[in-house]
Amino acid sequence: MCLDDQILNTYLDGELVEPWRTQVEEHLTYCNACKSRFEQLQSLHYLVSSSRLEDQEIEDHSKKVYQFIENNYISKKKRGFFSRDFRIKTPTLLAVAAAFIVIFVGALLINPKGAAQTDQLIPRVNVAEEGRVVQVKATDGLTVAQILDNFSLEEILKYLDSRGYEVDLRLKGLIPIDSVDNLL
Amino acid sequence: MEVKSNENESFRLVYEEVFPVVMRVAYHVTYNMDVSEDICQEAFIRFFERDIEFKSVDEAKYWLIRVTKNLAINVVKRKSREKAMVDKIKKAPKVPIRSGEEVLISSETKTLVREAVEKLPEKLKSVLVLKEYADLNYKQIAKILRISESNVKVRVHRARKMLESMLDREEIDVS
Ligand SMILES: [Zn+2]
Repeated sequence: MCLDDQILNTYLDGELVEPWRTQVEEHLTYCNACKSRFEQLQSLHYLVSSSRLEDQEIEDHSKKVYQFIENNYISKKKRGFFSRDFRIKTPTLLAVAAAFIVIFVGALLINPKGAAQTDQLIPRVNVAEEGRVVQVKATDGLTVAQILDNFSLEEILKYLDSRGYEVDLRLKGLIPIDSVDNLL
Repeated sequence: MEVKSNENESFRLVYEEVFPVVMRVAYHVTYNMDVSEDICQEAFIRFFERDIEFKSVDEAKYWLIRVTKNLAINVVKRKSREKAMVDKIKKAPKVPIRSGEEVLISSETKTLVREAVEKLPEKLKSVLVLKEYADLNYKQIAKILRISESNVKVRVHRARKMLESMLDREEIDVS
């Protein structure tokens, strides 16, 4: 008895179990009609399967979506003590900054106590008072990434903002967004 | 290896492995890149926010594929109501199927195949897309779609049969 399409398709997908598998194999060695039908089904499968969306067509979308989730979800839950609704889109990218970030904190509400708190909040960051400006500086010895691993810049800004500081952010040594794609 | 959906490392790991698969699933159900991107984003956000533990990356993958497929089917259902009229007028062009050695298929052929897959009824389409584009076996497909393995087997067969007739059975070259 010859083989029907259902059996051939199951065989084609490698899903046919013994003893049928061996029987089909044997049948295909001598029955030309079934063999050519099998080849047709194989070609159809190949045709359909190779019409797939290619990996290189997916890559950019993969990065884009990851970036979105990273910015809006993952980076939000690093520390619980800041409310999660603070939204600044770009600073997350700063985690890859190679050189340093300098944060100038407006002096309106500044006092030694405030500076101490800042020091606590951003561990191992030097806080130096220059007149009415507090400079929070992270240089080579203490990489930005180290700080931002624990506190996203968003969170730092949120904190300072909640303390009533005016924050002026200067960034140096940043890598353009385009070239950091491989890090994402 | 256990996977926690909202633990950053696990999330990243699952994302790297599964994103291409769900993107392919979304695309071959909707045939729209922008829509597919939105669907996958939504699926991964749900994954992240759900805070679920999975026994393995595969289990997480099945979960994500199921969510993606459901989201994609919903989009298609919504859209098909809108363009049901247009589709009645449009007629499928024909494409010859040659058997024998595997050759690279042209972009025109690709388009025709995609148009044919797009026209499959929902139940056949889900199974076929998971089979041909997500590279899953019958057992995995059955698990994701929550149907029996024999049901998967039958639907794969029916889907191919329908595709074959859409892609012009008469012109199949058996030489
Ligand atoms: Zn035969």
